[in-house]
Amino acid sequence: MDELKKKNARNGSIAYSVDSKIKSNEDEVKATVLHKDVGLISGISLIVGTMIGSGIFISPKAVLEGTGAVGPCLCVWAACGLLATLGALCYAELGTMITKSGGEYPYLMEGFGPVLAYLYSWTTIFVLKPSSFAIIALSCAEYASTPFYPGCSPPEIISKCLATAAVFLIVIVNCLSVKLASYVQNFFTAAKLLIIIVIIVSGIVMLAQGNTQNLRDPFTGGETSFGAIGLAFYNGLWAYDGWNQLNFITEELKNPYRNLPLAIIIGIPLVSVCYVLVNVAYFSVMTPTELLQSPAVAVTFGDRVLYPLAWVVPLFVVFSTFGAANGSCFTAGRLTYVAGREGHMVKILSYISLKHYTPSPALIFNGILSIFYIIPADINTLINYFSFAQWVFYGLTALALIVMRFTRKELKRPVKVPIVIPALVVLVSCYLVLAPIIDKPEIEYLYCTVFILGGLIFYYPFVYRKFSWTRRFMKPITMHLQLLMEVVPPQKVE
Amino acid sequence: MSLKKGEESCGVEMKEGVENAGFQEDSQAEEASPRRAAEPAVSAESCAAGEESYTQLRPYAGMPKEVLLLYSSQARYRVPREILFWLTVACTLALVALTVTVIVLSPPCLSWWQTTPVYQVYPRSFKDSDGDGVGDLRGIKEKLSHFQYLNIKAVWISPFYKSPMADFGYDVEDFRRVDPLFGTMEDFDNLLASMHSMGLKLIMDYIPNHTSDKHAWFQLSRNRTDYYSDFYIWVNCTEGIPPNNWVSVFGNSTWTYDPIRGQCYFHQFLKEQPDLNFRNPDVIKEMTDIIHFWLKKGVDGFRMDAIKHMLEATHLRNEPQVDPNQPPETVNTEFELYHDYTYTQVGLHDILRGWRVDLDEYSREPGRYRFMVTESYDYEEIEKTMMYYGTDFVKEADFPFNFYLLDLPEGLSGFRAKELVELWMSNMPKGKWPNWVVGNHDKPRMSDRAGEEYVKVINMLLLTLPGTPTTYYGEEIGMENVNVSVTQDPFGKFDPNNSRDPSRTPMQWSNSTNAGFSDSKNGTWLDIGPKYQTVNVEIQQGDPFSVLEQYRALNLIREREVALARGWLCYVWADNNVFAFLRELDGQDRAFLVVLNFGENAEMDLSVFKELPDRLTLHHSTLPNAPSSFPKSKITTSKGQGLLLEYSTSNRFHTDHAAQCYVSEKACYLSALDILYKC
Repeated sequence: MDELKKKNARNGSIAYSVDSKIKSNEDEVKATVLHKDVGLISGISLIVGTMIGSGIFISPKAVLEGTGAVGPCLCVWAACGLLATLGALCYAELGTMITKSGGEYPYLMEGFGPVLAYLYSWTTIFVLKPSSFAIIALSCAEYASTPFYPGCSPPEIISKCLATAAVFLIVIVNCLSVKLASYVQNFFTAAKLLIIIVIIVSGIVMLAQGNTQNLRDPFTGGETSFGAIGLAFYNGLWAYDGWNQLNFITEELKNPYRNLPLAIIIGIPLVSVCYVLVNVAYFSVMTPTELLQSPAVAVTFGDRVLYPLAWVVPLFVVFSTFGAANGSCFTAGRLTYVAGREGHMVKILSYISLKHYTPSPALIFNGILSIFYIIPADINTLINYFSFAQWVFYGLTALALIVMRFTRKELKRPVKVPIVIPALVVLVSCYLVLAPIIDKPEIEYLYCTVFILGGLIFYYPFVYRKFSWTRRFMKPITMHLQLLMEVVPPQKVE
Repeated sequence: MSLKKGEESCGVEMKEGVENAGFQEDSQAEEASPRRAAEPAVSAESCAAGEESYTQLRPYAGMPKEVLLLYSSQARYRVPREILFWLTVACTLALVALTVTVIVLSPPCLSWWQTTPVYQVYPRSFKDSDGDGVGDLRGIKEKLSHFQYLNIKAVWISPFYKSPMADFGYDVEDFRRVDPLFGTMEDFDNLLASMHSMGLKLIMDYIPNHTSDKHAWFQLSRNRTDYYSDFYIWVNCTEGIPPNNWVSVFGNSTWTYDPIRGQCYFHQFLKEQPDLNFRNPDVIKEMTDIIHFWLKKGVDGFRMDAIKHMLEATHLRNEPQVDPNQPPETVNTEFELYHDYTYTQVGLHDILRGWRVDLDEYSREPGRYRFMVTESYDYEEIEKTMMYYGTDFVKEADFPFNFYLLDLPEGLSGFRAKELVELWMSNMPKGKWPNWVVGNHDKPRMSDRAGEEYVKVINMLLLTLPGTPTTYYGEEIGMENVNVSVTQDPFGKFDPNNSRDPSRTPMQWSNSTNAGFSDSKNGTWLDIGPKYQTVNVEIQQGDPFSVLEQYRALNLIREREVALARGWLCYVWADNNVFAFLRELDGQDRAFLVVLNFGENAEMDLSVFKELPDRLTLHHSTLPNAPSSFPKSKITTSKGQGLLLEYSTSNRFHTDHAAQCYVSEKACYLSALDILYKC
């Protein structure tokens, strides 16, 4: 006790100042929760900004490869946009029915119980999200450095350093303020829409000048094989991946019942229109063969059409990827945060920064994992095998929607989609999961499955049984980390 | 739940903290923990004690804001927090700074034409797809896998323009069409598309000096159609009496009387190949349009044919005779005159530089550098060849072909090899990129002139020297000259000793009919080489010491090893038999010693070079049964053997032997980051 008193005496002044701080905080009546900072515009820009990464600028060729001709290619792009919209409509229903952040996680939880939700969070938090963050950061770095290495690829160290720097920067921004992060998101989304508009407009100008030879007879030379078209769809849908971004942050949306469906209904058709028109613009100056062979389609387009200003294209591609990386980080943090809150991850991950009102432990955790994914030489191939997992979870989520129509009739559904839509999404997901595996069955898919199910090894002792020794072990760590990072559990506000 | 009690009595701030869902679970679990016994007491006490009592709350996992704030500003948390934050910021800045530094210090990277050998395809003889006995574009497309197998990324295809074939394609009737013999424009587009999708580059022949006399321009010019009237070089003359003593490369006067126009036209080659008048700006414009036509199609480069012949003096004075006493009327071959007024005239380089600008315009797209190589035999006037490199200020050709190594067989020896390498390296402008040619469609094959046993070592010389090697089809399997039964070459018809047919015979793919070149039942346009049963691609594949596998192995090493691609070249040794040089890169411990035997079995003692370690490890040998390492005092090679020896040292050879060393663009290796930097 004596000792304690001495400490008190020493800390007297600090204690006083802290007290006054608490008081001033009270005046602002700002509870330590994630605030509803995301409005409609930010919501749309999050969706658009994450969906449009670098793909449409660099390699819109995968679709063309499958279809062979311009006409079917454009049709597939539009059809993929439609499919993505349908998928997103399901998410709109789910998001307004269960207004919890974390994307598929709360829906799977409600629909199928905690084990599936846990496996989802395990796979997504440890592999899917950080690796996609890493890959986006790496490609951003690559696009930023290639202009300095005409004729060859930049040394690996450069892309790795820059990618790491980008991850640091994005995590810092996201930890400092949700508002700042969404400003960054808005800025980069605006930038990418700007360059898309530039490309579309110059494409229209080229068409008006009579460069229509590639679009004149769009359906000749098309591939008819079902498998090839399927592959084109598969690749096309990847370009639309990210429609569910807003569901990761439902709790932070202002007026989610209005803004969530609205953002989805505006955002995804907007992206589809952009994709189709950008492709038309490309075809106004490039033959299908040239498009297939260009290492960076938009850059080639820029060189041919915008010549003295051709440098803006690579610059804006960098902007676009940076924005996508920011969006990816933004939402990834939310999933980790929700999983931590539900006890599926360590508690500290669900804590919120006292000063900045951001889920900084979750963000930092995601950032650190991403950096681990940046370091190895070639992570892309490994990650590609995990892509089927993504579609497994999309399909399961749509299935959860159907299931809950029967099991959870009592829930209020401000948006209600016809039940055929989720059924269609389930079917498409089944195809997208199975197609690449049947196309090229490889042992790596098995490894991935084993890894996903391997999550259960941790589930049983830590989540299901809640062994006390794990708590004893975690407690001091949590405490010190809390003090170090100034994070506290989120408060419930009525 | 005693804590809860304490909080209830303690007021608003605490209440907020407890009502959080996340914490609830923890606090329940903590009930059992022994440490908890102390806490209620503390909190109760703190309540009684008022404000200052908060300080006595101990921090615990899942603590709410109020508790946290009491401790988090303690120095032991605040300082690491601040440090970590600023460290992250500093890290970010440092990483960006590091990247910028690396980018700034990076030497310009090697372009595609520097990293791969250039393979010359003579389309008549490469592969026949339709059984007419003459090779074609579809045939080339069928055999693209051959380039992939050899790891060759650049293919130069000799002309396939529409042509009456007086000079086998070098007499062009229409620069915008493919000759039906070789296929259609669609075949070409398909070929180019497949090459590009395999990562191969296509270099075309571009023939500016002359067209065919069947070309529409010539037809319009000879009847004095307005625009085309001056497209060719027309001079008043009487039939049978040329205006001056100029002689053609293929022999006889360069002037031919045209009865339709009533004037003589000028031709540096055959009379079927009238020279274009490059003093006429319209000609330059038309020819430039043709360059654009093919660049738009996506062609990756041009080999500029016979460019030293493009301009001639307008004064038409007689050229001086090499032998002044020779009766002027007997002068009828190229080497009997000094070509002061017909070769390499002023203005030539301006035209080429203009075309370089056109190529550069198309090089802006990423990965699409358009390449230019010039063909000019200047013999002892090597400085004229070097002019095509351009200057530091004006770019011209990426390199002019280096034909000097063609003289290697004349007195083949280690000395000779060094002399010819040195000839190019010492005359080449600083910072430019060398290249090496040992054969083409105009010259007899090296395998015969030097001897079959030296084929591998000559290929090895090309692939281990700095610069771009050029490989004429068949050199990679050691094809030999063939004494053809029917002469096809117009030059050979003029002078059988100079026939170029022997080096143009069909590529030997396998030991089946027509060496796998053609399904033709009526023979091929030139006879198949008699040795095709043993000298062919199929039979050599898989035999590690065959010419083909040697080529492939060395080409892979060349691509993999930075020291071979862009390191120093230092001559170490040259005698009657052996030429040895080393390749090293600053900053890289690993270096290579190349030992090439152009004579008889020999032994070499390199003990005087203290930079070399005592033993060198064998990396590659062109002949079997080479020992796995050599003492530097006794490196033995047998006749025609090539050795690539590897050693590790931090002593650089070039620092003390600057006079023996060349490097195109100095770069240093930093092993820590695995990067190259300017130094």
